[in-house]
Amino acid sequence: MKSHPSVFRDESKLDINYIPSRLPHREKERRLLTEFFSFLLKIPDKMAQRVIVTGEIGTGKTALCQRFGSDITVEARRRGINLEYVHVNCREYRGKLFLILQHALTVLKPTFPRRGYAAEEVLKILLQNLDEENAYMILALDEFDSLIEAEGSDAVYNLTRLQEMRQNKPQRISLLGIMRNLDSTKRLDESTKSTLQRTVVRLERYGKTQLADILNERVALAFEPFTVPEDVVSLTADLAQDESGNARFGIELLWRAGKYSDAEDSDKVLPEHVRKAVSSIIPTLSKSELDDLNFHEQLFLLGAAEVFLETSEAYTTLSEIEKAYAVASEEFGEKPVSHTQLWKYLQTLSVLGILKTEVTGEGARGRSTLVYLPSVSAAELVKALRELLRKEER
Amino acid sequence: MHMELEDVFSSKPRMKILKLVARLGELNISDISRRIGLNFSTTSRHLQLLEAEGILQQRTYGRIRMYRFSQVSAKSKVVKELVEVWEASNKKELAGIGREKK
Repeated sequence: MKSHPSVFRDESKLDINYIPSRLPHREKERRLLTEFFSFLLKIPDKMAQRVIVTGEIGTGKTALCQRFGSDITVEARRRGINLEYVHVNCREYRGKLFLILQHALTVLKPTFPRRGYAAEEVLKILLQNLDEENAYMILALDEFDSLIEAEGSDAVYNLTRLQEMRQNKPQRISLLGIMRNLDSTKRLDESTKSTLQRTVVRLERYGKTQLADILNERVALAFEPFTVPEDVVSLTADLAQDESGNARFGIELLWRAGKYSDAEDSDKVLPEHVRKAVSSIIPTLSKSELDDLNFHEQLFLLGAAEVFLETSEAYTTLSEIEKAYAVASEEFGEKPVSHTQLWKYLQTLSVLGILKTEVTGEGARGRSTLVYLPSVSAAELVKALRELLRKEER
Repeated sequence: MHMELEDVFSSKPRMKILKLVARLGELNISDISRRIGLNFSTTSRHLQLLEAEGILQQRTYGRIRMYRFSQVSAKSKVVKELVEVWEASNKKELAGIGREKK
């Protein structure tokens, strides 16, 4: 039983799913979104909107959209308009349109049977439901890029041109696409792209002061008074800024630092707790461990990390890494080493615990070795290795 | 030709269906039959009867047929209310017994 009081007042306010009522430094964008969708509160059946929100990780895209969604739903209800804001993370549904739409449908009709319908069929049912209930929907598609990747132009085109299939019927579904940048929209055909990109809200990275403001707001909500000194917030903001201005990272650091503080029965969260928190998030892998690898081992690891980053797969094969390694070697002006040598590198990295291997059962082509990255973020690894390789290149 | 009140309500499966639909809102036949533990065709027969009496209403979404309380009939309104009041009162009674035991 813990006798020492906790530094937390309500740690759920640091949870990734918590949406604060105020969004420091995003009020302008929040007003902008409200403006874009204001017709929904005035002439809901006459218009449907398509807006894209872009911004790097931790720039508040999801929080902004969910806050906006919650506010507009309340306002619509107050005005007697039946409006649903449905937030779907496309990646959770492997970017499959029929699964995404099915999720949206079950928000309206929780008992609707889940079967393998075609996307068009689910869309039709969804619209039928909205028509019958005289309801409207803002469908927020988070990680929209994974839908584009999985389904390509046609699906997105159909989504953006819903009304053309429903002449003279009320407009029911507005779209809010959320993505890191517009790169993946390059894969769309011109007309879909132009329809989608007409209205884009771009969230810039937070600076140090903005991060400190955000963290201070959360501290006031989540921690007991006077338990988080100003320098701790400042240090956390610095670290979050180093992580490309990632507010989410800073908030998680605060939570972890609070946990370290509680574990040590401390009255306050100290900078040392933040430092411990950082090493618990980023590394399992120290810079010196990477330093100790030779140039080609580093290139090989970079190739592996690039593969994991690009494919988002948990496992890959040596031959895939070999291809990426060849590209990395070329980039750094090195002649690639032989396959046998790469196999040895894999063994070394596996012994060090940086990469891990798993041998699959007998297949048609015999046994094969799968490689995975156990506990380090691929993006972090790519970043660290690139810095190191550039330094050594000089 | 409509059935007598006692004939409609004398069936245990029909009462189970009404309780289920009152609780969950709108369900398809397979879901109802699974939840009340009866086969598809028997469940379907009961549902048709309740629909013919104007208590339930069927809606079709593509290949899916879903049943819910009829939105237009007065009968449906009172039956739904009866089931809801009955269930809520039983729940209260159960909670009371739980408190006494503590």
